[in-house]
Amino acid sequence: MQAFLDIFDIYLLEAVINGILLGGVLALLALGLNLIFGVIDVTWICYAELVMIGMYAMYFMVQHYGISYFVAAPLTILLVAVLGAALHYLVIAPLLTAPPINQLLATGGVLFVLQSFATVAFGIDFRNLGIRLPVLAFGEMHFSYARLLSFLAALVGMVVVYLFMTRTFTGTAIRAISQDRQIMALMGVDTKRIYLITSALGGALAGLAACLLVLQYDVHPFVGLSFGPITFLICVLGGLGNFIGGFIAAFVFAEIISLGGLFSDLEWGYVLAFAFFIVMMFIRPAGLLARRR
Amino acid sequence: MRVRMAARLVRGLLVAISATGLAVSAQAQEKKIKIGVVFDLTGPLAGGGSELGYIGAKIILDHFARTGVEGYKIEAVYADAQSKPDIAINESVRLLEQEKVDMVLGFFSSAQCVPVAARVEQLKKFMWMTTCISSAVFNEKGYKYVFRPQASGDQFGMMTMDFIAQNAKAKFDKEPKDLRVAIIHEDGAYGVDVSKGNEAGAKKAGFNVVMKEGYSATAPDLSALVTKLKRAKPDVIFHTGYNPDITLLLRQAREQGLKFGALMGHGAGYGVYEKLKEGMGADATYIFNTDPISIWLANQKTMDPKLPAVIKMVGEEFDKIRPGVAIRSAHVGIGASNTYVFMNDVLPRAIKKYGGVDPDALRKAALDTDIPEGGTMLGFGVKFYGEGTPMAGQNERSFPVVIQYIDDKSSVVWPKSQAQREAVLPLPKGTTYSNQ
Repeated sequence: MQAFLDIFDIYLLEAVINGILLGGVLALLALGLNLIFGVIDVTWICYAELVMIGMYAMYFMVQHYGISYFVAAPLTILLVAVLGAALHYLVIAPLLTAPPINQLLATGGVLFVLQSFATVAFGIDFRNLGIRLPVLAFGEMHFSYARLLSFLAALVGMVVVYLFMTRTFTGTAIRAISQDRQIMALMGVDTKRIYLITSALGGALAGLAACLLVLQYDVHPFVGLSFGPITFLICVLGGLGNFIGGFIAAFVFAEIISLGGLFSDLEWGYVLAFAFFIVMMFIRPAGLLARRR
Repeated sequence: MRVRMAARLVRGLLVAISATGLAVSAQAQEKKIKIGVVFDLTGPLAGGGSELGYIGAKIILDHFARTGVEGYKIEAVYADAQSKPDIAINESVRLLEQEKVDMVLGFFSSAQCVPVAARVEQLKKFMWMTTCISSAVFNEKGYKYVFRPQASGDQFGMMTMDFIAQNAKAKFDKEPKDLRVAIIHEDGAYGVDVSKGNEAGAKKAGFNVVMKEGYSATAPDLSALVTKLKRAKPDVIFHTGYNPDITLLLRQAREQGLKFGALMGHGAGYGVYEKLKEGMGADATYIFNTDPISIWLANQKTMDPKLPAVIKMVGEEFDKIRPGVAIRSAHVGIGASNTYVFMNDVLPRAIKKYGGVDPDALRKAALDTDIPEGGTMLGFGVKFYGEGTPMAGQNERSFPVVIQYIDDKSSVVWPKSQAQREAVLPLPKGTTYSNQ
């Protein structure tokens, strides 16, 4: 009984809830990447670097120019949305009919360009926004407001994207294009415009993630390396282009990391999460929520 | 006719003699040592302290480039290891084989030092490490051409444990066996090595080690580690990390309500107070760090009288590069002092006594090094463990000190012989992490 109580204590509950909150962060990151892949069928390897640029934008606006966080956040979302549209216009659009490997390499190249740009422009220093949000305490358990905000933003973002995709004409057009990009052009839909809107929307979601991550992490040119690979794995685990799949996969992944890390070494949490990913790729290669054929 | 021939002969001889003279003088002018300098100027380690070490080394190299050493010109060729061990190896080999440098100097990360040292030794070239600390670089390797004046990782780990052991009763009112300590570290060569020193020190002191765990410095989340620390309830946390993992850990520790009596850092990210302060605000106060003493804190009264002027010069040059820094990082001084030892002591001896700057001359000169305590800007002396010993190439006279950050100042608190003030221990009531 004592052994049972030793394991199932208040700290286990804290780890479970922290796993859910980490899942919120990862789900938020996966949302935009999934949208892009689902519609344009191109994986932005450089997605986390867009988030990094957004984090720098937040840092400079708030710290250097003294702009309020709440004013800086929509400006950042707008900036990264424009960056997303520019990325599509300049890099993706010319490669839409190219083999997938070329598209992948091109966005991989953008990743290095953005990292190098940030290094040259902002230096290698770690920068901190300096905003310390209060902590939510329940007895022995404490939770970060920054993480709660990310969790809520992921939830709201998910619902808004879902409603946009299902209840608006543009959203319907986006979904239709994702199902058959050739036929929609024949039916008079301006596919270029839809791609541009989708890219801007994906960029805006990266901007939203940046606004929330900057409350939790230092900004530096290589911050994307901490999130990029995990975000990509989550999208694949959930089924590339499947929003709900990505959302669930983020929480599954985060819980394995959190609980694996609690019961064993933290490193093992990540090992277990990646092992789970590999096993799932054998069992459900099209993703957690893929329909069996 | 004969006279003409004789005149031609004399002219020819004169031309030949003057040409030889010119060649000799050109050769004398061309006497130089090319030094390949490798630090991380991009990537996560750059901001974690490597760039500061590079600045310190460069200030000294620039200084000697102006004066020369024993008639030799100094030419430094800089390379960026990009925070990656493979790049560090490739750049070192490129410098040695393509740039034809006579030796390599620098290296911030232990994860780079270990493989680069093996490669440089294989090439039979000379390597002088200024900053990295892992004992694994030398342990039982028997290297002949690799030298490090810097203290080694296990010394760091032992030093902090010794400090707490000597203060356990007085400050925590606990016998060592009742003192709960946690050892956490990044899982690279540096973190693992320091943690081994921590573990050995804890065993020697008889502490109750309630947790020992490594983690990846690039992990995006450390909340599970913090939860385990909360469960383990340590009095003292011994942490070895770079940055930004240190600020991530401490931010999540604050958010999750982790409490403890003292936090002992071990160089790297803990040596860059500006970044700790930026990330943690007032919570950076009372943190301990272990590093070779900052050259600006070292006791100049017991130091070689030539050195205070050099320290002043390094400080002034650093202030020109980075104006307005509250506490000059120890990394700058480490890079500067350890480079100065080579330029001022080893290199002149290699040229004068051993006739040049080839790897064997440099090796012999390094082995002859015998600088007493107080003979370097870092306060310690330099004498390398000789060939045939387990740590051949490591400085046997180096030692780190324990400092504490209080009110935007860093002060040496241990060992007692170097202490500048009494340590504030445990964390005062009312501070964020205090378990009082």
